[in-house]
Amino acid sequence: MTLREYLTAEETQSATQARWQALYAGWRRLRGNRLAMIGAVLVTSLILLAVFAPEIAPYGPDEESLADRLLPPSTAHLFGTDDLGRDIFSRVVLGSRITLMTACLVAAIAAPLGLLIGTVAGYFGGFVDVALMRVNDIFLSFPSLILALGFVAGLGPGIRNAVIAIALTAWPPIARLARAETLTIRRADYISAVRIQGGSSFRIITRHIVPMCLPSVIVRVTLNMAGIVLTAAGLGFLGLGAQPPAPEWGAMLSIGRSHLSGAWWLSTAPGVAILFTSLGFNLLGDGLRDALDPRS
Amino acid sequence: MVRSRHMLCATVAAVLLAAGPSRAATPKDTLVMAWNLDALITFDPAQIGEVNGNDIVSNVCDTLVRYDTQDFSKVVPSMAQSWSTSADGLTLTFKLRPDLTFPDGSKATAADAAWSMQRFVKLGFGNSANLTQWGFNRDTIDSAITAPDDTTLVVKLDKPYPEGLILSAAFAQNDAAMILEKSVGEKNAKVVDGKSDLGNAFFKTNPVCVGPYHVSKWDANEVVVLDRNDKYWGKKPNSRRVIVRHVPESGAERLLLEQGDIDVARLLKTEDLVALASNKDIHIEQTEMQGFQYFALNMADPILAKPQVREAFRYLIDYDELGRTLLQYNGIPRASLVPEGAFGALDRKAGQPFKLDLAKAKALIAEAGYPDGFEMKMILSVNNISPNLAQHLASNAAKIGIKISLEQMADAQLFTRGRAREFQIQEVGWGAGEPDADSMISRHAVDPDPRAEAKLAQYPSWRVSFYSKEINDKAEQAKMERDPAKRIALYHEIQEYMMHNGPMVYVYQTIRPIAYRSNVKDFLINPFTVDYGSAVK
Amino acid sequence: MGRFLSWLGSILVTLLGLMMLTFFIGRMLPIDPVAAIIGDQADQATYLMVKHQLGLDRSVPVQFLFYLRDMLHGDLGEALFTGHRVADDLAHVFPATVELASLAIVIGAGIGVPLGVVAAVWKGSWIDQLARVVGLLGFSSPAFWLGLLGLMLFYATLGWVGGPGRLDISFMDEVEPVTGLMLVDSALQGEWEVFDNAWRHIILPASILGFAAMAYISRMTRSFMLDQLSQEYIVAARAKGLSQGRVVMRHAFGNILVQLVTVIALAYAFLLEGAVLTETVFAWPGFGHYLTAGLLAGDMNAVLSCVLIVGIIFIALNQLADFLYRRLDPRTR
Repeated sequence: MTLREYLTAEETQSATQARWQALYAGWRRLRGNRLAMIGAVLVTSLILLAVFAPEIAPYGPDEESLADRLLPPSTAHLFGTDDLGRDIFSRVVLGSRITLMTACLVAAIAAPLGLLIGTVAGYFGGFVDVALMRVNDIFLSFPSLILALGFVAGLGPGIRNAVIAIALTAWPPIARLARAETLTIRRADYISAVRIQGGSSFRIITRHIVPMCLPSVIVRVTLNMAGIVLTAAGLGFLGLGAQPPAPEWGAMLSIGRSHLSGAWWLSTAPGVAILFTSLGFNLLGDGLRDALDPRS
Repeated sequence: MVRSRHMLCATVAAVLLAAGPSRAATPKDTLVMAWNLDALITFDPAQIGEVNGNDIVSNVCDTLVRYDTQDFSKVVPSMAQSWSTSADGLTLTFKLRPDLTFPDGSKATAADAAWSMQRFVKLGFGNSANLTQWGFNRDTIDSAITAPDDTTLVVKLDKPYPEGLILSAAFAQNDAAMILEKSVGEKNAKVVDGKSDLGNAFFKTNPVCVGPYHVSKWDANEVVVLDRNDKYWGKKPNSRRVIVRHVPESGAERLLLEQGDIDVARLLKTEDLVALASNKDIHIEQTEMQGFQYFALNMADPILAKPQVREAFRYLIDYDELGRTLLQYNGIPRASLVPEGAFGALDRKAGQPFKLDLAKAKALIAEAGYPDGFEMKMILSVNNISPNLAQHLASNAAKIGIKISLEQMADAQLFTRGRAREFQIQEVGWGAGEPDADSMISRHAVDPDPRAEAKLAQYPSWRVSFYSKEINDKAEQAKMERDPAKRIALYHEIQEYMMHNGPMVYVYQTIRPIAYRSNVKDFLINPFTVDYGSAVK
Repeated sequence: MGRFLSWLGSILVTLLGLMMLTFFIGRMLPIDPVAAIIGDQADQATYLMVKHQLGLDRSVPVQFLFYLRDMLHGDLGEALFTGHRVADDLAHVFPATVELASLAIVIGAGIGVPLGVVAAVWKGSWIDQLARVVGLLGFSSPAFWLGLLGLMLFYATLGWVGGPGRLDISFMDEVEPVTGLMLVDSALQGEWEVFDNAWRHIILPASILGFAAMAYISRMTRSFMLDQLSQEYIVAARAKGLSQGRVVMRHAFGNILVQLVTVIALAYAFLLEGAVLTETVFAWPGFGHYLTAGLLAGDMNAVLSCVLIVGIIFIALNQLADFLYRRLDPRTR
């Protein structure tokens, strides 16, 4: 069976297949959504920018030249230079790698963590559910930036710790979603069937429940990407994210802060970069949600 | 009055209301200053450790004697109208003025002075070193400083220090020599675990002192308001009130100053100062301070223990270019550990002999056995130009294969790591107490005991595991030398040695730029004083 | 009654967890509060003395018990970086944030609700698209960057609004703090020039914060309205020939009011978070500014108290939202 047949077959063989089919149908709807496509273009550009950053950037990101500091935009320096004479265009371009890496790493930690906690809580119910959801509530009762600030303050500044801190704040909504999905399917006949056949809980969760929750989790994570990008930039802005001389956009903005009335270009380019990235993820996530949830 | 219109406009639609910019001149009898007050945590003279607190308290609390404004190596009377040293050089007697009063009108006596100095040592905050390094300690302080009558203060010394040195180091414009009101301190003392805080909690927010102003309001991170003391013994301050407002952004301070919303701006950064320099309404006063910004190389690290490596770092700093760019209005490039203006300092040229020289640095590290470079970690403050200097060094170091990764942190954390010796390279600042070479040398070159268990964390030399018996001896010899010419010669020798072999790579001597409106006249500013009361508007 | 007790129990468990988490974060802080107090030049004896005074030489569980005891007494401790009691500091900074967030929510709801309604009624039209793009921009913009741009344009270049801070310096101390809300205090005392000045200072940060709130509120309003408009009774009402305006306003909008209140309550809670960065940019002496300053100074007491209080406010607002929801929606009963 080819992939296409699997995704379009009239009669589905399993619940999982049905889910993936719904997803595929959603994708076809997504292609018709202009805003979502703009988002997809933005996100794809970001990825391409990150991949080819060294080829695109005319200068090294850390190449300082005190004699050329704070130059306004020109043909030699498209976005001008910063207070150490570094080329802002090159820094913005290379900064895309940091942003993309941060967002992906956070997603890679938070999504499995949330998925695991949510499905386990939903599947077992009872005390396990109460305990896990209580922990979840505690984390949810903090605004994510403030919690991330606390964690970074504790772990120490730096991009790795920022990733851990943001991931720690990003899993609860995913867990809650996964739990809700699990609750709707755990009593389904086919799950009972597997259980009667002696399938272990581990097997049921990983083989049957997780795949069912995956599509909505993916959408949720895409939507969260924008928030992750903003939180990471916020941490960088406060000096708690990537350390100098890393060309992190938030950190670049905070340099611009001390040149408010003199050198506007310092904060313009990184700000626009953050905006486009986060907008891209939002548009795409929004489109995904619409596509997968025909009600709205 | 614009009330009704604005009441109506306070609707969602009027998101941005434009009715022309507001311009209000500051009141005639009030001096308005903007500064970053983030670091301000206390006004208790015994506890103050940062610049803002010192600056403000020096306008609230007078000291026993002060530096001559024309010649800082001379000490002139203040609250003490005269003094004398006994023949054996071990007893110093101050005669206080009879007309000293606290803001509440009560009389200030030598007993208040003795109590203040005793608590200064007993509380033991960082400041206490101002006295403890001259042989005073918790156990002896009560008998060492006494007040036989209302105007006589007797100080017993452990060694016959030269009079000029001890006066300048401990009693002139020093937090140690301020007079707090004893009865207030005792009444408001808080006892924790059977130990009195000697009024620390109270004086923290309200230092009751003899001085031209008193603190009438302090909202943390917002504003400090000082009001004039009518019964002040000295010259009546010109401004009735001084407002120091927390404005942590240089750009914002500049605009406020340009628009006349403030009289004085204290936090301006290079770019804003450069822009203001051409404005004829603004005057910028640059003062060379007795302080440094430097990279501390921890010699406990086997790589940094090599003298060639330490010397190489000095050739990785472009002192000249920094001086022309980042350091403009911030500092004067200087590699010697004694600041210009201090007794015994090398002159400007001899005190900064280094030039950016990658080839030489490369040769030096090759000689040390690292021809391909090495990796290092540096810790630094998030504040001011620290990150820029660190990036400058790292960028040049990278060119000869030395990879330096940076970690920024809050000052408190930076200090903790330094005190615990937990770093390879630390970029940090240091302010010297008095304008004498001994002030820096006794902490940055002298290390009484380099062993870890000695825990001499107050010595930067200890933090980097630097120890040289020869330097220790030479410094002690210089300190007790009564012939000025010989003292100077000894200090020059120490400086030359430290500049090439020492663990600290000094980058610049701090400049304090203060920008104020040109209508402010007679503002007395020098390294030890920013006299708010002197300003006339 | 039993239901109430179990609800209370779960709230208490959450609160305890909240305190454990904040305490844990505080313990992790690599910043040594002792160093923050004694500075860089003190000797080791002083260090140990101050450490003892702060109780930091006790074991961690004992410290947690003391922390709990103090919290239960409402004693948040002393903020090392200001030298004041944390409770006093918070009483001082909270009104500034409340004023900012309140105006922001007025702006956010004032624009967001009508925008959402219009977008729902004319679903798919250009105005719906516009609402959507504006909303997404609100979600996507880093508020601190908008703040910077706003200051550069409206303050530094055009001079239309006041700069950082709550008031020009020359207006400070002219108004006695009663509520701590500058606009209210100045209006009550008839200091209209101060009011005018305060207004200039608050409008830009409030608009920027409000923008993000608006994005959220308009989106939720739209989806609530769409839900209502597809209900059978609305279709029926329309079929009966009731005018569009009546149907929308009287029936559909009336039915989403409670939901809207919950959304606005939640948006308000999130403004507290947004305030952290916005206040930093605008040097707004509020809670967010206090939190970041405390964080950078390594002040455990101040940071923990702020985090804890925000947590409590969040729980309270969430409970309120939950409660309203339960009352309204029979399906969740």
